[in-house]
Amino acid sequence: MRYTIRMITEERLKILTESAKYDVSCSSSGSGRKNAGGMGNGYVAGCCHSFTPDGRCISLLKILLSNDCIYHCKYCPNRADADVPRASATPDEICQLVIDFYKRNYIEGLFLSSAVCKNPEYTMERLVLTVKKLRTEYHFHGYIHLKGIPYADERLMEEAAKYVDRMSYNIELPSEKSLKLLAPQKTKESLLLPMKELTVKKQQYAEERKKGQYKGYFLPAGQTTQMIVGASPEADGQILRLTQALYRSMDMKRVYYSSYVPVVQDSLLPDKPTGQLREHRLYQADWLLRFYGFSVEELVAEGENLSMEYDPKCAWALKNMHLFPVEINRAPLETLLRVPGIGAKNAYKILEARKYATLSFEDLTKMRVALKRAKHFITCNGKFFGAKNETQIRGFLAAAEQSDNAQQLDLFAQISSPQNALISLTGQL
Amino acid sequence: MVYVFDGTKNGFLTAFLAAYKDENALLTSKQTQLPLGERTLFIDTEPLRAEKAKNRLLCFDRDCMRDFDTLLRSGMDNNEQIAFRYFHTLTKEKRPIGKMLSNPDVFAAVECMRKVGFEVHRFHGFIRFMETASGALYAPFAPDNDICDLLAPHFRARLPQFPFVLHDTKRKKAAVYDGKNVFLAPLCDAEIMLSADENAWQALWKRYYAAVNIPSRERLRQMRGYMPARYWKFLPEKQDPPTDE
Ligand code: SF4
Repeated sequence: MRYTIRMITEERLKILTESAKYDVSCSSSGSGRKNAGGMGNGYVAGCCHSFTPDGRCISLLKILLSNDCIYHCKYCPNRADADVPRASATPDEICQLVIDFYKRNYIEGLFLSSAVCKNPEYTMERLVLTVKKLRTEYHFHGYIHLKGIPYADERLMEEAAKYVDRMSYNIELPSEKSLKLLAPQKTKESLLLPMKELTVKKQQYAEERKKGQYKGYFLPAGQTTQMIVGASPEADGQILRLTQALYRSMDMKRVYYSSYVPVVQDSLLPDKPTGQLREHRLYQADWLLRFYGFSVEELVAEGENLSMEYDPKCAWALKNMHLFPVEINRAPLETLLRVPGIGAKNAYKILEARKYATLSFEDLTKMRVALKRAKHFITCNGKFFGAKNETQIRGFLAAAEQSDNAQQLDLFAQISSPQNALISLTGQL
Repeated sequence: MVYVFDGTKNGFLTAFLAAYKDENALLTSKQTQLPLGERTLFIDTEPLRAEKAKNRLLCFDRDCMRDFDTLLRSGMDNNEQIAFRYFHTLTKEKRPIGKMLSNPDVFAAVECMRKVGFEVHRFHGFIRFMETASGALYAPFAPDNDICDLLAPHFRARLPQFPFVLHDTKRKKAAVYDGKNVFLAPLCDAEIMLSADENAWQALWKRYYAAVNIPSRERLRQMRGYMPARYWKFLPEKQDPPTDE
């Protein structure tokens, strides 16, 4: 089985990649798609194939079908009136690229998106054509994440969902007001409606599958979305409330945050980039919502931002000192998970190890449970090893935070040169 | 006392039977590392005694042979001693000990096994195949641990139509999939004829790697942490970057 080689040129590959690269989600996890003749399967845990000098993982081939846009989102370098090189690829070029990269184990699959080229309908048709070809003509069973185009026909969206593992419609900005201002052609409805429809459809197909009326897949790895933080004035409390609502009502698998980088001069946009520490804090809080049993109301008030000084769990613990210290040998899992510095992995380790022996402070060290923060909130067999009073504890926690951040200085360095950063967010919806 | 065995599983088990009552026993197959001034016993592998040791260990933990296999694959210098201490603890405790992490011998063994498993996971991503003129795929690599046959099922499941060779250049052996079965074979140097398009696809991959990076956010330490430099030799994207501009 050999196809005529349709090899994309290096030049167009470069343009279409550079226009797509600021998209933050690269996860390839969550799909157990099986090989069914041909090439590829899903890898439930996700898999990184390489790492770029910016420290990010390459899992999926992240690329645009086209960066030629008719819209004018204020923050986007691909908007219609921007002076940037334009390029498009054909569906076959993308398919061949995926097949040959996948075969060499460069990638785990495809993350395909596009600028709005000509009109939403046409763009979505091309995207669907590409993923359909990839599955049916090229017999590819690896991971596919597709970005949906708002305003395109619902039937196109439904068809796409049968071929791909994950879809995302980006919510873009945390409020309708900001959306109106900065992405005038997109409305809250145009972004939320497809998400809702997909959630409903997914349930319908699951029902039909149970009854044996539907055999194929329908979005096995669910939906994700993304928003830009710092281009508009919403506080973390508001952003996280939106996040929580998306997890609860839309069954979102992930909400991604992307800190704003100014690439475009516009009086409506801030001229300073958002610090990456803010993005980091949002992800930490997001993590607490999903895996640690916290609700947003416990973490931050609607109009407020997260603390920069402490991570969200420490900040919460400091407000709830009456709940601590907890005894490491008796506390139930839910309580262990709420101890600052104890992550899910270590919580489980402790649960297992204490079945064999009463754990002392030393034992925890031997098990390499990090205690820098935790020691102020636990007792080990009745003994407390933390600081004497709350003021001291605050001091130690702040110091711990600083030394961690110093180690990751390059992570939080402000992005100083906008022309290098070129683009804050990309060419896609 | 130092117990020197031949490096095989049966050799280890025979040595284990001889050594397990000796608190200060040191087990190794690496004669270059023999400590000076210690009494040394060279163990002759005896399949029957090995079987006896194995059955004894299985009484305490039915799954312990999987741990054994993993520990012996480790590239750590003292992995055999770690395995010995682990099974020594098992015979003392007389029940599965895998979760008994506050015991230092158990912790060391679990860490050692975790490293092997982690490297398998890493190479699911870091293996790079080249397409040869015959259409078969060839991937040379130099892992820390002896894992090439552990990687094969993963690639066989996703590329069932492509024969492939996973070549551990350090241990001079390969896991080979011929389109039907996977087998292990010794392999020193492989002579490879690349397919006509191979270089062009590698060039596109390098181009992609360069284009997807965000230079203003350089975090080299993170990159090296996730993808250690010792693995770079066989990654096309870490050879000379694409030129022009
Ligand atoms: S964000 Fe998307 S729709 Fe908006 S201008 Fe950029 S490419 Fe076009």
